[in-house]
Amino acid sequence: MNDIGEFTLLVALATAIYGCVAYVMSARGNRIDLYLSADKTPLIVWGCVMISSICLWRAFLTNDFSLQYVWAYSNIELDTFYKIASFWGGQKGSLLFWTLLLTTYTVVVHFQNRKKNLRVVPYAMAVLFTIIIFFLFLVNFSTNPFERIPLPPADGRGLNPLLQNYWMVIHPPTLYLGYVGFTVPFAFAVAALISKNLDDGWIRLTRKWTLISWFFLCMGNLFGASWAYVELGWGGYWAWDPVENAAFMPLLIATAFLHSVMIQEKKDMMKVWNMSLILLTFVMTIFGTFITRSGLIQSVHTFDEATLGYYFLAFLFVILFSCMALIIARLPLLKSENQLDSFLSRESSFLFNNLLLLGIAFATFWGTIFPIISEAVRGIKITVGPPFYNQVNVPIGLALLALVGIGPVIAWRRATLSNLKKNFFKPLAAAFIAAVALAPVIPLGSRVENYTYVTFVLCVFVTACILIEFFKGTAARMGLHEESMFGALATVTWRNKRRYGGYIVHIGIVLIFAGIAGSQAYGTHIEKHLKTGETFKIRGYDITYEKLVAIEATSVKTRVIAQLQVERNGKHYWTARPEKEFYKGQNQPVSEVDVLSTWKEDLYMILADFRDDESATIKVYVNPMVSWMWTGGWVIAFGTMISMWPDRLEQRRRLERFRREESLFPSPAQE
Amino acid sequence: MKQKKIRFLVGSLLIVGAIGYLITMGISNTSQYFFTVDELLSQKVSYAGAGMKVKGNVVNGSIQRDPNDYLNVKFSIEEKESSINVTYQGVTPDMFADGREVVVEGTLGKDGVFHANTLLTSCPSKYEAEKEAGKMHPGALSTDKYKEPGLKKVDALPKTTI
Repeated sequence: MNDIGEFTLLVALATAIYGCVAYVMSARGNRIDLYLSADKTPLIVWGCVMISSICLWRAFLTNDFSLQYVWAYSNIELDTFYKIASFWGGQKGSLLFWTLLLTTYTVVVHFQNRKKNLRVVPYAMAVLFTIIIFFLFLVNFSTNPFERIPLPPADGRGLNPLLQNYWMVIHPPTLYLGYVGFTVPFAFAVAALISKNLDDGWIRLTRKWTLISWFFLCMGNLFGASWAYVELGWGGYWAWDPVENAAFMPLLIATAFLHSVMIQEKKDMMKVWNMSLILLTFVMTIFGTFITRSGLIQSVHTFDEATLGYYFLAFLFVILFSCMALIIARLPLLKSENQLDSFLSRESSFLFNNLLLLGIAFATFWGTIFPIISEAVRGIKITVGPPFYNQVNVPIGLALLALVGIGPVIAWRRATLSNLKKNFFKPLAAAFIAAVALAPVIPLGSRVENYTYVTFVLCVFVTACILIEFFKGTAARMGLHEESMFGALATVTWRNKRRYGGYIVHIGIVLIFAGIAGSQAYGTHIEKHLKTGETFKIRGYDITYEKLVAIEATSVKTRVIAQLQVERNGKHYWTARPEKEFYKGQNQPVSEVDVLSTWKEDLYMILADFRDDESATIKVYVNPMVSWMWTGGWVIAFGTMISMWPDRLEQRRRLERFRREESLFPSPAQE
Repeated sequence: MKQKKIRFLVGSLLIVGAIGYLITMGISNTSQYFFTVDELLSQKVSYAGAGMKVKGNVVNGSIQRDPNDYLNVKFSIEEKESSINVTYQGVTPDMFADGREVVVEGTLGKDGVFHANTLLTSCPSKYEAEKEAGKMHPGALSTDKYKEPGLKKVDALPKTTI
């Protein structure tokens, strides 16, 4: 079976090469026979990779330790759930997983575009295949998941207990779905450049792809933060670690892209900008993978395969330079008719939003690669940590937050003083009231506290802007139809899913900003070494360390649990049970923190250490408003769902448009 | 029309400039040197009193805890024949043990002892582990480092007493 798995990967590679060449030649020579032949390849390539993946999963599920990869990440005792997830637990499998997702997406693209858009589709498929070829090359010749051990051992090493939680099953696939998803808009952008089809057709074709991929990337980032917070037990959710940054930068650039394409669709502007942004997004996803795998940058997650890093680097440069050359070559065709008219307009807001997002991405990028650059230039490694990112990204983030409110409201083209007054009077008034109301109530003085104050005021401003937008739409509809307020609200949202879905996403963003601001400024923590029965205080909580208990949960896992009673105002509030889990075969324990989450704050307990005499070191964090972040995440998910939902009316319009286009430009298939 | 273009260019450049300024200030204010132990000790310039990060492996048997203050830890870290002593106040990560790779952040005292504010251990990364795995025969992996916690074991979690 493993031989089949290995062989099908080779077949996939050969087929992909054939398909790529055939697509290109069919487009250039207008050859229908080559096109029909190439059109068979997506399914074949996907089928081969799927078979190969199934073989690998089979090896995991049947404890086949003749495969080095299975041995390294699984053992007989491992829960079936995690045996399945171990597929993407290591280097080789995760590359195969990426390939699986990419080939699946390619097949979907193939089916979506079977009988249309035939001027760009061959080139788009060729680009997709080129990238597939790269990954298949890696999986076949560099990091092969089917690498054997000559004398198969009886049992495997097992999966690191830190990874044995449900996040392991959710976080990597979600992130990959996002990363890989951006390959599709990228492929269509390149195809548009090659075939000189430079209207916004490629944007409209790939809008759903962009939105869905953005969604997965955003959720993937939030899952990562949540995982770190709940499982890794250091009381925080983001450390500006290079691998975290690697997932964050594509998200920022993709967000910029998501917004600027709206300008191209509505105003036919910023064409070169959009091309460059999708190129940058894709490059960042590959770069992120490169950082994660090359060990070039010191990280808590550093992996270590030097050769692989070089392949990625080479691939990166090839893409970057060829695409830049392509954009430059097509520059004359990318000129826009319209221009930015005024600083105070929606177009400029979008432009500034883009600049700010790219600014944060660049600052993050710079901070991440700084150690390498400083070592190359000065011979000494210099690093920057959270203080750098906070110092730089927070002010930019706050400016961005303000734009979240201004952008959707400000007039197109040119905002006159009268419509500025009309649109922004109420939100500014609300912000002013908030500023005055909050100032006496919350701590001010340190930089963090001041930033948080500004954040809260801005959050009120933005929320006011968004709510007024909802209200205006609802009121307009109520004026024309006999509907209740809720009915009108629902209808107006449903009829304008893109816009109102986007507004809901913005509300989620506001919640996340507020949550981050609150938890950064008002958090506190304490660590104490206690004997049983001892009590200590933190922020209004009285905590008593009651006892320590050890349980043999399974034959390989022992849990050591500390029980603490938490009281507030003299009344019992919570029984906390932070624990440490010890696994046979692993020489360090896994901390399981206990958290009580409320809207106001999180009470976060860690059993840091204990001794045979049952004394223990307990670390307690009080993290205000963290749950606002996760709620914000759900709101974003909800808003994106609404935005993405298919719109019958829009679909009908699109179909008509295609029919008109096809009659004007007969495709090769019809000749 | 050209005037508008110039104005936008200027506006955009202002934003870009502001961000660039923030980044430059940020780096000069918050950057830290990052040395491995041998690099630090081989530096000709004395870095006494400077804030920095140092990476090394914990010297076997060097971890000492103050009997009166459990959170006060002294240990040594080494890299390629060089080693330095470190003091740290606080909770040590789960993975902090003999031989582990750690990164300490803090200041080097004039007495040559490093006063650490932060102690980080490297996650035994999945991919790093794989590299190890690839190079060793599976049978050679030692499994005797597991240490049972020395506590009485119970069968089930007792109910709360309140």
